Amino acid sequence: MRSTILGCGSYLPPRAVTSDELAGALATTGPQLTESTGVSTRREAEDGEGPSQLASRAAQQALAAAGLGPEAVDLIVFATMTPDIVFPGPGCFLQDQLGCRTVGAMDVRGQCAGFLVALATADRFIRAGKAECVLVAGAEVHSAALEYSPRAVAVTPYFGDGAGVVVLGASPEPGVLATVLHADPDGLERFWCEFPASRHLPSRMDIEAFRAGRHFYQLDAERMHPQAERVLPEVIGEALERAGVTREEVALFVLHYLDHRVARRAGRAAGIPDDRIVATAEAAGHMAAAGVPIALADALAAGRVRRGDVVCAAAFGGGMAWGAAVLRL
Amino acid sequence: MSELVNSRILGLGHHVPDRVMTNADLTQLMDTSDEWIQQRTGIRERRYIREESGPADLALPAAQEALRSAGVKAEDLDLILLGTLSPDVDSPASASLLQRRLGVRGMPAFDVRNQCSGFLYMLAVADSFIRTGGACHVLVVGSEVHSTGIDLSTVGREVAVIFGDGAGAAVLGPEPDSRKGILSTHLHSEGKFAEKLMIEVPTHRLHPRVTEAMLDGPGSRLWPRMEGRYVFKHAVTRFTEVIHEALAAHQLTPADVDLLIPHQANLRISQLVAMGLELPEEKVFNNIQRYGNTTAASVPIALHEAVTEGRVRPGSLVCLAAFGAGFTWAAALLRW
Repeated sequence: MRSTILGCGSYLPPRAVTSDELAGALATTGPQLTESTGVSTRREAEDGEGPSQLASRAAQQALAAAGLGPEAVDLIVFATMTPDIVFPGPGCFLQDQLGCRTVGAMDVRGQCAGFLVALATADRFIRAGKAECVLVAGAEVHSAALEYSPRAVAVTPYFGDGAGVVVLGASPEPGVLATVLHADPDGLERFWCEFPASRHLPSRMDIEAFRAGRHFYQLDAERMHPQAERVLPEVIGEALERAGVTREEVALFVLHYLDHRVARRAGRAAGIPDDRIVATAEAAGHMAAAGVPIALADALAAGRVRRGDVVCAAAFGGGMAWGAAVLRL
Repeated sequence: MSELVNSRILGLGHHVPDRVMTNADLTQLMDTSDEWIQQRTGIRERRYIREESGPADLALPAAQEALRSAGVKAEDLDLILLGTLSPDVDSPASASLLQRRLGVRGMPAFDVRNQCSGFLYMLAVADSFIRTGGACHVLVVGSEVHSTGIDLSTVGREVAVIFGDGAGAAVLGPEPDSRKGILSTHLHSEGKFAEKLMIEVPTHRLHPRVTEAMLDGPGSRLWPRMEGRYVFKHAVTRFTEVIHEALAAHQLTPADVDLLIPHQANLRISQLVAMGLELPEEKVFNNIQRYGNTTAASVPIALHEAVTEGRVRPGSLVCLAAFGAGFTWAAALLRW
């Protein structure tokens, strides 16, 4: 048995935050923020809405597209780096919000490659005969974790909130043609967040760490870019080879990286024409585990790709973790 | 496409910090007693880290032992999985930090965050990758440092006395004989009860996710909260249910089980589950008396001790089961 995509859904919270709006707190100007990060607006979730609530809306859309109800789901795999609460994970909240049966709800952490980790895991469960209908969710509420002060001028404007969900089902014909995952911990401090830190004595979060802002993202984008430009073309090549698909057969490349201009450059370096690239961070900022499924759902909804088309999604980010998937829709 | 193969545990290891915290030691920090703790939980002592070290640090010796015992080199791993609810840092995953401690790169490394059921969820992931040829050798580690995340005062005592630090690891690989290795895995969740056992803060439902006020004072939302009696009641029901489910999938009954290794949540829960299944004491493995509840680490620590003590032999039918926060619960059946 193989797995195939039965439906996709996405949800972005309605509140848009422009660079002009952010500029004051970051002590700069809107045009400068847009220029430095390539992002002009991003969305922000309401208080009270965690990633599970955003994913819930995306999941309802994905299930409707698949023509299925929540009772059909027999596994949930949820990827995020900004969970509703510390534990339990958003997968459990999603199970309850959708009214699924008491099926497994797994929470995975693979940062910007998180959705591909979740997708590969769901694919393996289906191929192993352990599941037939898996909700694969990626959702982020980065806005709750960001720092709104001048120190964060090169971090905060990159990120946005949102959720995307794919319903993956068992099928005799393969839809997920190949998945490839990698990680290299070298230089992982280029994008990390230290606190809460269970390794810290006497307490995983204390006032000193808080006042020092050690619970905010630390990001050295300039030093991440070269690695993104190197590994994205590599992993695309590896995934296509494994899927037995040529570049020309791929209708759309979904390139997921913090800076959409770097993602696009990496795509060009891989020999992909510009009109077949979606750089996920372009529309509403970077959403670590959510960018890929949102782009898939949106490309389908916009008619940019159709059933039967081949799509290649590749991601690189924190960990450092990266990967690619080749999908026949 | 290649035939599906089974997966099996090739090697095990565990590591606990050398600092022993007895119930008497806890009475120095909070109003409690050895008698109260033992009567309700069966716990006599637990381990706490002595110096700054996180789950990835505790995981390293456990993983190295499992790799040695499996005869697998770290660089030959195809996948690294780490389960924890007390990660080293907020991001990235503790699996990435373990990958660095192991000195390897290239293979994927990610966390599975399913609390007390974490090790069983990871076994299901590893088994799925191996059965479908997606990986040959998988490292699965459950590791926790609870001692820096509990309120060690009288206010937090109901939760604090239960938890301990530790790590347990398994290396899995393919098993060509379909009657051996992991026979099946069974995963469940019920998010309706998510807030019966949780840590709330930092919470990405609020802007900002953590404030100075949230960190301050007794009863802080930074500490775990548990409705103990509620969790206890559900645990006994779900443990029993999922063990029956796993056995029924293979037309087996509790009488066929050679050893049940329940997640070490509470000795009283294990005893009630064993009684309900009519399993004699020698067929149930418990070590919570010495380690407390180490959530994702408890099953692999217990399994490693059981194998080392000779309580699991070739041909033994081993049932692993867990229940915890989420609620999530799970079981796996293994033919050794």
